[in-house]
Amino acid sequence: MITTTALTKRYGDTPVVRDVSLRCEPGTITGFLGANGAGKSTTMKMIVGLVRPDHGVANIGGRPFHELPNPTRVVGMLLDASAMHPGRTGRSTLSIAARMAGVRLDRVDRLLDLVGLTDAADKRVGTYSLGMRQRLGIAQALVGDPETLILDEPANGLDPEGIAWMRRLLRGFADRGGTVLLSSHLLHEVQATVDHLVVIADGAVVSSGRLDDLLASSSILVRSPEPAALAAALRAAHIEFVAGPDDALTVDVDGGRVTPELLAGVARDHQVLLTELRRSDTNGLEQLFFSLTAANAAAPQEVAS
Amino acid sequence: MIVAPSSSPIVPEPIPFSRLVRVEWIKATDTRSARWLLGLVGLTTTALMLVPVLVPTSFEQTQATYLRVAALGLTVLLPVVTILLFTGEWSQRSIMTTFTQEPRRIRVVNAKLAVSMLMGTGGAIFGGAVAAAGLAVVAAAGRDVASDMSVGVVAGYLIFVFLNVLAAVALGALLQNSAAAIAAAFALPATFAVIGSASTFVADWIDMSVWSWILENDWSGHIPQISVTVIIWVAAPLSAGIARTVRRDIG
Repeated sequence: MITTTALTKRYGDTPVVRDVSLRCEPGTITGFLGANGAGKSTTMKMIVGLVRPDHGVANIGGRPFHELPNPTRVVGMLLDASAMHPGRTGRSTLSIAARMAGVRLDRVDRLLDLVGLTDAADKRVGTYSLGMRQRLGIAQALVGDPETLILDEPANGLDPEGIAWMRRLLRGFADRGGTVLLSSHLLHEVQATVDHLVVIADGAVVSSGRLDDLLASSSILVRSPEPAALAAALRAAHIEFVAGPDDALTVDVDGGRVTPELLAGVARDHQVLLTELRRSDTNGLEQLFFSLTAANAAAPQEVAS
Repeated sequence: MIVAPSSSPIVPEPIPFSRLVRVEWIKATDTRSARWLLGLVGLTTTALMLVPVLVPTSFEQTQATYLRVAALGLTVLLPVVTILLFTGEWSQRSIMTTFTQEPRRIRVVNAKLAVSMLMGTGGAIFGGAVAAAGLAVVAAAGRDVASDMSVGVVAGYLIFVFLNVLAAVALGALLQNSAAAIAAAFALPATFAVIGSASTFVADWIDMSVWSWILENDWSGHIPQISVTVIIWVAAPLSAGIARTVRRDIG
């Protein structure tokens, strides 16, 4: 269980994280989604005590991180897979983590096997690819047999097979009662892995909830070769929207008031040509992510939350 | 199951300090570069010992002088080893892992200090052995060497080695950057030595060469100067470095 309340951090005059409150329940995988620089890493570092928040608190299993007597026995972390000594072998990197956690050293071999690094175990980390470092980082996170995992961009550098492997690993971990918080800027990766989603933009949470709910309550995508005319038509009809890529507009369903039929009628009345009109479904999260993050940067008043 | 979250809400024991020291010792010695550097410390000390052995006129031929030569040899590179102990993890950024393994950062700093002192002790013992070997060689060659060894000489030798180790540790803890700290460790004493040649105040109260009085077991009348330089080169930067380490955000 991870909870944060109103975590806030400024560097100088720049707010990096603003009032971020999270709640990650046992048995679930929470995706922390946002563009690079949105504040994901800083939030995670505040949870694990590497960065001191200006305001707010973070607890793991009901206790602040710095009060955990032997933290890696409670929470496994992968914060930056490149932050390892390049001169040390994979095996000795894991052995150090195992010693610190106070677990038996034979666990090291089992973890190397689990992450598929047995053959590379005695090579120096400096010779590893990013994907191999990522696997080693995941093994390091698991070394203390924790009940919670905090992973910053764990899919970084993994090939599709590696991503699928990690997805199964994390799902199994959560299904056995574990709590997972993972960050990503890769939408499709998150969509296939998580049950809960927290979207962050410019340091603030702009949307959060169950993945299914967020997808269901999403939006309608409407595309026109005359986007300006379509935008004017929607404004005239008091329909909220945000501009997406390739002249697409994402229209909020506004609790069901706005339907594809209504939009078609508006377009007809204003004689605007439409080339696409559909409920956001398969790309729903992508649209949501785009609209939330882009809208927050450009026009916050158009965000329906 | 290897990735099963632990179901039992057992509160784990705190990490014992001895384990922290042991892990820091492993980290300081388990890489190829660390072993090379330790080897070089031995090599420089041994090489410098050849000077009084081969060139009798270069140094006064007394037992204490041989021990001092060992100290001078040790303090060329041993400080670099202990600097890296404090800066290496910042440069590799593995400090991020270390401080999540033990978030009570002061305990990690203390463990690193303990390892530094262990290395200082090991270095001092090695230096003593090198000096003894040098003395044995010249004795076998039939050279006359004054026997002036005393508890005071040994104490001065040990304190000198430890102070040099601690001054390096202080720079490392303060600067948290390997290149900057190593450069400072060589440049600052040299700079103050030059200034000291123009200003007796700097030479007597600030320049680290004041510590040669310790090495020469020449304490009388020098305690105030020695105390001031220990504050300037060890106590002040070490306290500031520890405070910075404990507080610093690791981004």
